[in-house]
Amino acid sequence: MTKARQNDEAALEALFEADRAAPPEVPDALMQRVMADAVALQPAAPRSVRKSFLARMFDAVGRAPAIGGLVTATCVGFWLGVAPPDGVPDFGAVIMGVEQDVFVAELDGDAVIWFGWDFEEGEADG
Amino acid sequence: MADADPLAALLARYAAGDPAAARMLAAAITPRIYAHALRVLGDGAEAEDVVQEAMVRLWRIAPEWRLGEAKVTTWVYRVVANLCTDRLRKRRTVPLEDTHELRDDAPSAAQMLQQRARMTALEAALQSLPDRQRQAVVLRHIDGLGNPEIAEILEVGVEAVESLTARGKRALTQALADQRDALGFEDD
Repeated sequence: MTKARQNDEAALEALFEADRAAPPEVPDALMQRVMADAVALQPAAPRSVRKSFLARMFDAVGRAPAIGGLVTATCVGFWLGVAPPDGVPDFGAVIMGVEQDVFVAELDGDAVIWFGWDFEEGEADG
Repeated sequence: MADADPLAALLARYAAGDPAAARMLAAAITPRIYAHALRVLGDGAEAEDVVQEAMVRLWRIAPEWRLGEAKVTTWVYRVVANLCTDRLRKRRTVPLEDTHELRDDAPSAAQMLQQRARMTALEAALQSLPDRQRQAVVLRHIDGLGNPEIAEILEVGVEAVESLTARGKRALTQALADQRDALGFEDD
């Protein structure tokens, strides 16, 4: 390779380098058209559904399974409050200061049987 | 490797409706393909049309883009190359001599800065190359892409790319050698 040719190739490389260093600027109008196309052709983003307060609470608690457990626990607690088992103090009455009479039915099994029998007996006599 | 293509990730975000992704993609790709199209076509208005069309195709394919299949830039360059080829085929090719006459006859040429004159000479010399050689030379020596990627863009083998760039460089060197003195290149 001659010296002149080497110089020519070096000059060409220098031109390439200068061209790479100073790329042409994109016209603003072109960029605007490109962006307008991008907006026009962009698929819609998945719509985010705005949930109501109750729905968000429902989600926060844990949805249906958790709500089922919560309802069950509430019902049991309510029932225990209304009709506490024997031996369990009635905290509600204690707190409210209400005396609660316990009516013990004297109508135990034998008495009823006996009364009924006695009543029927009297009718027969009469 | 293509999985790590950041532009592919941006394209996925664009397809998912992220408006910021569109801006970032446009900013990353448009200058590169505009410069490429301008160098290959030598005409600003045509280069703009090509770029807009290529970007429209990119926006359209975004929802179907499969990560890892190809690099986004390679795909876009290929679209641009094909669009440029279509336009070049419709044109009548301008012989090198005519191009030089056009440049030399420009009344302001004598007052141009030397660097500007060199760029003009390079542009004219590039336009004198056969279309495929010009595309290959621009992709290799100005856009700075590797031969395998150029082969993918031009849809030819790597050896064909090497041949195109080698012949293109030789032709450019010859074309510019004629203007060595005018361009201020020393001949030691």
